[in-house]
Amino acid sequence: MGIISEKDREQLIKILKPLSNNVRIITFTQEFECEHCNITRNMLEEISELSDQISLEVHDFVKDEDLAKGYGLDKIPATILLGDRDYGIRLFGVPAGYEFNTLIEDIILISRRDSGLSKEVLSELSKIDQPVHIQVMISPT
Amino acid sequence: MEFPGIILDIPSISQSRKPDNNSIYDMLIVGGGPSAMSAAIYGARKMINLALITLDFGGQVKETSVIENYLGFQSINAQELVAKFEEHVKSFDIPINLGVSIVEIKKKDDIFTVYMEDGTNFLGHTIIFATGERHRQLNVPGEKELLGKGVTYCATCDAPLFKGKKVIVVGGGNSAFTTAFDLLKLDAEIILVNYASGWQADEIFLKKVKKSEKVQFLDYYEVLRIEGNNRVEAAITRNRKNGEEKRITADGIFLEIGLLPNSEPVKNLVELTKQGEVIVDCFCRTSIPGFFAAGDVTTVPHKQIIISAGEGAKAALSAYDHLIKSYPI
Repeated sequence: MGIISEKDREQLIKILKPLSNNVRIITFTQEFECEHCNITRNMLEEISELSDQISLEVHDFVKDEDLAKGYGLDKIPATILLGDRDYGIRLFGVPAGYEFNTLIEDIILISRRDSGLSKEVLSELSKIDQPVHIQVMISPT
Repeated sequence: MEFPGIILDIPSISQSRKPDNNSIYDMLIVGGGPSAMSAAIYGARKMINLALITLDFGGQVKETSVIENYLGFQSINAQELVAKFEEHVKSFDIPINLGVSIVEIKKKDDIFTVYMEDGTNFLGHTIIFATGERHRQLNVPGEKELLGKGVTYCATCDAPLFKGKKVIVVGGGNSAFTTAFDLLKLDAEIILVNYASGWQADEIFLKKVKKSEKVQFLDYYEVLRIEGNNRVEAAITRNRKNGEEKRITADGIFLEIGLLPNSEPVKNLVELTKQGEVIVDCFCRTSIPGFFAAGDVTTVPHKQIIISAGEGAKAALSAYDHLIKSYPI
């Protein structure tokens, strides 16, 4: 049995059916996979099978060190979500528990190429003129 | 760490598409409480070209803890019931505009325009207005300044913060007594302050609260101001019989003085009561053809979730009748 149950799989297929643009998922693991890297990779493989618009690339954190650095990664398991550009979204750790919904919601938003933020908020955000590093600490349960 | 599995929470995944600002929808539903959500489901099942416009989902239901009088549920957590409503709505392909307030609704040449706070607008042949109510404010000094710092309108949200503390509850009706009852369970010391003379709460609530020695009753008193330096410290009250002022020290103040209908966006469009409720007939019709209203914002008595849900369904079916008569296929 996979990580995603048959019941959840059916619901996810429905949710992901309207995806209008492609979403690239990149995950970094390593040759000797830790338990969490293994779960993350398996989970993402299952997700990528749910829609033609989702593709998955698996990289090695050690062997593909330069690529990992290029994405600003310093730990694994790491999941990067890309659309027609890099929106800077990085998920570290297993997107398990309720955070699974964050992962799915991110995929949907990236496919829409729309953050869902209002014009007013986007206008305020456009005033930021220097790099800002935001880290959201979460508990998967 | 043991793998916690995945928890798929469909309503939390915002999958709905946004409404188009250039289309004229057959039905625009304004609001996100039980009446609006019920109207959306009925409208969608009638295959009406509709859109839902709301600041958020749940309305006042979200401020309740447990619901024990909604058909089919002997007891259900309010958030869970809202999630079920939302999931039901989102099971239809309904465009939803979420997170922006509406400013005004106008009608011109049989087309309604809903003007949004962010400068956008939406067009519709019919409107179902279901914006609900909000808490009435005291409008005294200190109320705004100390909101969230001891001043609260939501016992469900904030009562646990006042466990074992001294709290003033303003109001004399069922809401005030329910709040007092919730606070008693938390071993709080309570001062009930009632502006009117005599307590308006149902006998069952009066009995429950009055038997406690931890409640002090100030009948026919008004709150003049709320004092505190970054936290509520006291309220200044006045005895309305003899004018005597009294400073009551407290850690918090719950304002349970009724509700106001959210009808400002249509005050220049449809007939309202003096209290601001949208006047509706038994078909949820208002004074303006094509403009229907449902739920707590209307004159329909007994503000209950089940009644709002029913009214929403009725409004959608009435709007459907209006559409097929006005715009025959």
